[in-house]
Amino acid sequence: MSDIMQLTETDIDRMALERGALPLAPLAMPPQVLERIEGGWIANLLRLRPIQTPKTGH
Amino acid sequence: MPASGGVGFGVTATRAITLIAALAAGIGGFMLFLQFGAADGLDSMDIVRSVLIFASTFWLAWGASTALIGLTTLPPEVPRDTGPLRGTTAILVPIYNEDPQATFVRIAAMEASLRATGLGEHFHFAILSDTRNDQIAQAERLAFIRLLDETGAEGRIFYRRRAQNKGRKAGNIEEFIRQSGAAYEFSIILDADSLMEGETLIEMVRRMQGDPKLGLLQTLPVIIHAQSRFGRAIQFAATFYSPVFCRGLAMMQGKTGPFWGHNAIVRTRAFAESCGLPELSGKPPFGGHVLSHDYVEAALLARNGWTVRVDDDIRGSYEETPENIVDFAKRDRRWCQGNLQHSKIIGAPGLKPWSRFVFFQGILSYIAPVFWLGFILASIAAPLFAPPPDYFPVEDWPFPVLPVSQASKALGLAIGVVGLLFLPKILIFFEARIRGRDKGFGGAGRAMASVLAELVFSSLIAPVLLAFQTRSVFQVLRGADGGWPAQVRGDGSLTFGNAWAASHWITTTGLVLLGATMWLSPVLVPWLLPVGLPMVFAPVIICWSSKASRTPVFLTPVEWQPTAVMKLQHLILSRWQGMETPVENRDQPGTAVTHA
Repeated sequence: MSDIMQLTETDIDRMALERGALPLAPLAMPPQVLERIEGGWIANLLRLRPIQTPKTGH
Repeated sequence: MPASGGVGFGVTATRAITLIAALAAGIGGFMLFLQFGAADGLDSMDIVRSVLIFASTFWLAWGASTALIGLTTLPPEVPRDTGPLRGTTAILVPIYNEDPQATFVRIAAMEASLRATGLGEHFHFAILSDTRNDQIAQAERLAFIRLLDETGAEGRIFYRRRAQNKGRKAGNIEEFIRQSGAAYEFSIILDADSLMEGETLIEMVRRMQGDPKLGLLQTLPVIIHAQSRFGRAIQFAATFYSPVFCRGLAMMQGKTGPFWGHNAIVRTRAFAESCGLPELSGKPPFGGHVLSHDYVEAALLARNGWTVRVDDDIRGSYEETPENIVDFAKRDRRWCQGNLQHSKIIGAPGLKPWSRFVFFQGILSYIAPVFWLGFILASIAAPLFAPPPDYFPVEDWPFPVLPVSQASKALGLAIGVVGLLFLPKILIFFEARIRGRDKGFGGAGRAMASVLAELVFSSLIAPVLLAFQTRSVFQVLRGADGGWPAQVRGDGSLTFGNAWAASHWITTTGLVLLGATMWLSPVLVPWLLPVGLPMVFAPVIICWSSKASRTPVFLTPVEWQPTAVMKLQHLILSRWQGMETPVENRDQPGTAVTHA
């Protein structure tokens, strides 16, 4: 218990930091894909190549 | 990541019925107006106006259909785990330049309410400050130490202030998850003005434990503590009508439900793996941080196969509302930008079709007022485009042919539009009467008076809100970023000078609109008065509605019967303000209250 009326600004900062520290238990949060790549289908169209014939059976 | 289930038949049928009803109403409005406009010869302006009527009527009918679904369905049985609570749940309170005393008192009240259930040790509070004002931040730290000293909850209540508020509220929560997320199976996300009963917090955890596929569970917060005329009208409307609209929404959305950013619980791992938000390409308002992150997070959880659900039967979830139209419009400006920004996300790969539709709906909700304004302007300008009347259309016929009046069609359309606006509210009154819900609102007589008063009040302020919303849309479209202004809470009373400064442009617009109508289409003036007059008197309406309300109408259940957590909040606030604590026997539901 602390008499908060007697605390200096430095005390308050220190106590808040010490007594308020969050538990350390990291969890990854990977960024998600939100936007379609600009002109994606056009780019895909431009990248079209003749279908590769599988060599199996030849 | 859970296996993605299909959409149930009930949900699909509900969506189909709603869509068909809204389309039918929209097409009906379109046809009626086209016939009315074609009476003196069809011109381009008639077609433009008919299309605008279609879009506006569709939107109104969509809302009315949602209410009808809500009126005709009951909440389904949902799984809940009645066994012991597993692990620890984090209660996240992101704050940004808020009143520290009010915020920390709410946390103290919720902590005491949880302690009274005997299950308080299963919950931790994390106060996540993004406050930029050093004086407020210092007051936050002081309030935090007082909170720890009074509750003895060190190790269960945490406080941290970020050096930089990257990503705003979403970034604040993301930083918490990156640092501490693995310690918590569930996280309850609140706003600074959120208040929840301890029993409610526990119920949310039980429902999450009962359904392992449930990624997010949203509650319907009830608005409390409104004091002004505007605030109490909104509070009444939200308390009386929203449960029915929410029920309809829940039926339509199924497993692809909403997230409104607060008063909701998430499965922390599901949220972490699904909801990391990147910055959008380009500059604000469309690029940069995702503003209305909640809708996006709900869509991303659903994309990963998690169920997102709103349970409208959960009680004990509260929030506050702006006390005047100006603060309401400021918040709406932010939401407007956030919703229009979703146009960049609507095509995101892998989203559920319903999530895309929700984004579309959000955009439409802000564009709809522009349609109405467009319709009014097109109607005023229509005489300029109309062909001159031809009284002798038949060659060599000596007598004039007078056009048949189609005024009845316009009148029918107007009645239809008004009906779509008012009928759901009237029906909700009868639902409340049948289910005995009206008792909480002061009985049938007072509830009816409140409904009628709300209809008049909402009609009065609608043109003013329409003007603010239209301005917001145009601001966003011309690239103006609204930034991140802190929420204004508290009394909210405005002087006439404040109101005038915020809305004199609406008065000018209203005068120009009425003047142009008198000049170009005098016959339209009586039709336009319900829109034009509130615009002309906008400063008066804004000032008057911001003043304290003393009327017995707009009574809501919690106004005369505050719940346990509200009583706790009141007691603790009185003590923190150094006032004598008005403790009465009925204010002490348990030991936790006396020790709060």
